[in-house]
Amino acid sequence: MQQQPPKKKKIKVPKVVNGQETMVEIEVDDTGGPVWGPNNGHTLLNHRLTRVDGLVKVSGAARYTYDVHLPGMLYGRVLRAPHAHARVKKVDLSAALKVPGVKAAVEGLQDVRYAGTPVAAVAATTPELAEDGIRAIVVQYEVLPHVVRAEDAIKPDAPKVFDEGNVQAANSRGDKEKVAAALAKCAAVVEAEYRTPIVHHSCLETHGNVVDYRGGDAATVYASTQWTFSIPGDAAQELGLKQSAVTAIVEHMGGGFGSKFGIGVEGALACKLSKQASAPVKLMLTRHDEFLIPVNRSGSWQKLTGGATKDGKLVAVEATQYRLGGNDEGSQAGQPYIYTATDFYREVSSIHTNEAGSGAMRAPGHPQASFAMESLMDELAYKLNLDPLEFRKINLKDPAYHRQLERGAREIDWSRRNTTPGGGAGPVKRGLGCGVGVWGGGGSPQCKVDVTIGRDGAVTVACGTQDLGTGTRTYTRAIVAEELGLQIADVHEQIGNSKLGASNPSGGSTTAASLAPAVKDAAYSARMMFAEKVAPLLGVKPEEVTFAGSKVSGGGKSLSWSQACAALPATGLTAHGEWKVNLADKGVHGAAFAEVEVDTETGHVRPVKIVHVQDVGLPLNRLAIESQINGGMIQAMGMALWEGRVMDAALGLMCNPSFEDYKIPGSLEMPELVPLIDDGDTREAVIGVGEPPIIPTVGAIANAVFNACGVRVRELPITPDKILMGLWKGGQTA
Amino acid sequence: MKAFEWASPTTINDAVKLLQASAATHDPDDAPRPIAGGQDLLTTMKDYLTRPERVVNLKNIRGLDRIEGDGKRGLKIGALVTLTQLAEHATVRSDFPGLAEAALSVATPQIRNLGTVGGNLCQRPRCWYFRLEDAVCLKKGGSQCFAATGENKYNAIFGGGPSYIVHPSDLAPMLVALGASLAVTGADGARTIALDKFFTLPSEGSIRRENVLHNDEIITEIRVPASPVAARSSYLKFKERESLDFAMSAVAAALELNADKTIKQARIVLGGVAPIPWRVPQAESFLVGKRLDASTLNEAAHLALDGAKPLAKNAYKIPLTQALVRRALAKFQA
Repeated sequence: MQQQPPKKKKIKVPKVVNGQETMVEIEVDDTGGPVWGPNNGHTLLNHRLTRVDGLVKVSGAARYTYDVHLPGMLYGRVLRAPHAHARVKKVDLSAALKVPGVKAAVEGLQDVRYAGTPVAAVAATTPELAEDGIRAIVVQYEVLPHVVRAEDAIKPDAPKVFDEGNVQAANSRGDKEKVAAALAKCAAVVEAEYRTPIVHHSCLETHGNVVDYRGGDAATVYASTQWTFSIPGDAAQELGLKQSAVTAIVEHMGGGFGSKFGIGVEGALACKLSKQASAPVKLMLTRHDEFLIPVNRSGSWQKLTGGATKDGKLVAVEATQYRLGGNDEGSQAGQPYIYTATDFYREVSSIHTNEAGSGAMRAPGHPQASFAMESLMDELAYKLNLDPLEFRKINLKDPAYHRQLERGAREIDWSRRNTTPGGGAGPVKRGLGCGVGVWGGGGSPQCKVDVTIGRDGAVTVACGTQDLGTGTRTYTRAIVAEELGLQIADVHEQIGNSKLGASNPSGGSTTAASLAPAVKDAAYSARMMFAEKVAPLLGVKPEEVTFAGSKVSGGGKSLSWSQACAALPATGLTAHGEWKVNLADKGVHGAAFAEVEVDTETGHVRPVKIVHVQDVGLPLNRLAIESQINGGMIQAMGMALWEGRVMDAALGLMCNPSFEDYKIPGSLEMPELVPLIDDGDTREAVIGVGEPPIIPTVGAIANAVFNACGVRVRELPITPDKILMGLWKGGQTA
Repeated sequence: MKAFEWASPTTINDAVKLLQASAATHDPDDAPRPIAGGQDLLTTMKDYLTRPERVVNLKNIRGLDRIEGDGKRGLKIGALVTLTQLAEHATVRSDFPGLAEAALSVATPQIRNLGTVGGNLCQRPRCWYFRLEDAVCLKKGGSQCFAATGENKYNAIFGGGPSYIVHPSDLAPMLVALGASLAVTGADGARTIALDKFFTLPSEGSIRRENVLHNDEIITEIRVPASPVAARSSYLKFKERESLDFAMSAVAAALELNADKTIKQARIVLGGVAPIPWRVPQAESFLVGKRLDASTLNEAAHLALDGAKPLAKNAYKIPLTQALVRRALAKFQA
């Protein structure tokens, strides 16, 4: 019988470039094959699975790039330019090379557009000698005027970050005149400016690599990266090798959040140093470097005007949105974000300053837009004397939002909110706030997965992908174990190596939605192949063989797993898997509720409880997803209440490049965190969930602060000084 | 950090000799430094803010790690006593509660386990301009205090100029309130310095230092006298972030009450608002003879902040510190 060529269909999938997601159309096979089945029908998936790498991580046995130590390894350090804007005229490395222990020294970038630009690097036998080495380098700069504040950068006579000027128009949409006409008829109009500072990824493992190239025609690079396969090409270019001659290894990595794609300037310098010294070089950025050199979350400056009818319909929004991305363009979702207004007009542009370029960070551009829009919505609701939650429901059509808002409101007990902001006796006030978010999180066909069943019963799932701490190792095992009727401990995963099957970058929350279908496909094929082999032993047809409880059964007979595997040839069997369109989906919603306590005498804000409701399609591992949601809530809390880059305008230096002064929340800041998976979403498909939980909590906290004390802080972070000055001015701050 | 010579003497006299700077040392931050817990010194060395030619370990000198005495006799606290020792010491907690509170408020358990009382008093400023290697400020031999017109949210509202640092020690305001003094030993022998004469304003003494201790002197002991105010002492510290932070503002208060619950004497010293522990005598004398009612607390708080000169970004410290003064005193209402 002649085989039919597979039917094709066109779909849109996310493509991630430097962590930024865009949608592209591709053609895929429209065939049968594996399905996940109902979400409540799983034996392992959709359960709370303990992460398989938990023990090695908490015991310190897990080897991160930071932990790699090779014989003869040197330590690299970069020399940061002390000027925010300059041109390197001359670099004299000779004194550095005379420092005892310094084995290599190389020049770095010459165009200094931010203080901290790496202009040179050295490698030495100890990190301390490397520090002495970089201080011995003599650099001659032509110092140029700089600008680090957006307000200054837009002035006509401002120093130019780029020759083309500091303001770069991006896009505009809508009809300004219609908006003006609609606003004139509104029952309530709010015009306000919202600002968010540059926020840092704060990866606990800084950026960096260990480049092991001792001459010859091959090299190994241990990388702290979000994409194993971005490393060999980048390193090969620096080392003058073929891409295939470079092996990238990513066993464990300590946080990326969008900032770790490609080998980076620090990786390029490590390659040069390794090549010069013919020795392995570990170049991990210092914490100070980490705040200055890699990308960050762009700041925002958003001038919004919103108008609503007396019954709460948002009818007009006008937005001037500035993306503050240093010497990159920055990102910011277009207003009115998830809401629709009958008429809207927005103008988006980037303002350049002499700061490191922004890049992807957990839901690029969304928390900034969400904070501003959720604040505006809140301000409108109070002005109309409407319940802010009801006001949102009036303006959201999607039933998923209604379902999630109602669930979150029940969990936080929304009826407890202050009907009058700042109401209640005593100096310590409590308040509630909410916010809503949206994300894509789809997958695409990039992963190549192999599942191998050995004659000794060993089961291995292999793909070059990386686990950012999100639980990739755990669900790859779980998918295979469930398919074969085994336990998680029966399966071993091999990941984090560029010699294994290809995988996609971990950006845009696309890892699980891209990888899990390919793992499922490989596991399904392995089961089919195994059934063919075992069926004769059981005296049944292959399709009658079942795999459950670590047994292979059929026709009333049962074989233990090892008995069944003994039927395999000496090489065992290997099945290959690819992405399947029906196993992944995209598009999630999320709703957040925050309860905070504000001490109106000290300005201290204490988060009391945060609830986040999130749909995810098929929850691969409920525990890991809850952890993701917790992490999103915590990172959002940091952005709302403590974190923000502080720049000195005159010096052009970052004032707070340390964890002492750049304040991420610690254990004593933790509120009760309630991560809720929205099982009202019954899609039998995997959707990524890394990014969405950070989006709506920022606005929810700001709104809770207002509800508690009556101060509307429109510039993040909401620190005690702003609360106190706001109370002093009677409830308003800039 | 810059390579240094390590010395580990066993006597105070040897330590002092080892702290003599060589003739080649011109910058005070290149001179030999003593190390105890190292919790501040190492951070300054790692950032090349201090580059001592020699580091003199004090940990091998016996007898400096003890707490002796009680509320009746006063306390003798060895300079090498750790913050954890002080915070957990039963007699300190019962007889000098404010001192135990101040010790417990410092940093994190790890830092308190290593950081010493002597080191805590000799900390260098936390001002971020001071801590940035690339910003050569007044305190590092430069010609300008960048905080004066820059990002000065955390800087001084009292006693500023030409530098606007705030003193980072939590123990200092409480020890000043308790009338403590320091025993120090240098090349010229031992001397005793009242703690309220120990710290120096930027307008007094060397701009490169925060106290009168000579480079070749070491603190050996902190003496806290028996005092009728010690039992009613309290330290209230406000941190922007509870997990690991320095004081945005802090109040050390100590009171003696008469039998009729009126105040016999009061000590109020502010932390986190000035380059030195900032005593507020006008509020202290106002309180004498008063009862701790709401209007007294308000007036004392108002007087305590009288004369504050906020910079562009730290006016909030006035209402914040007023609230802390009220709250610190209100603890003694019962």
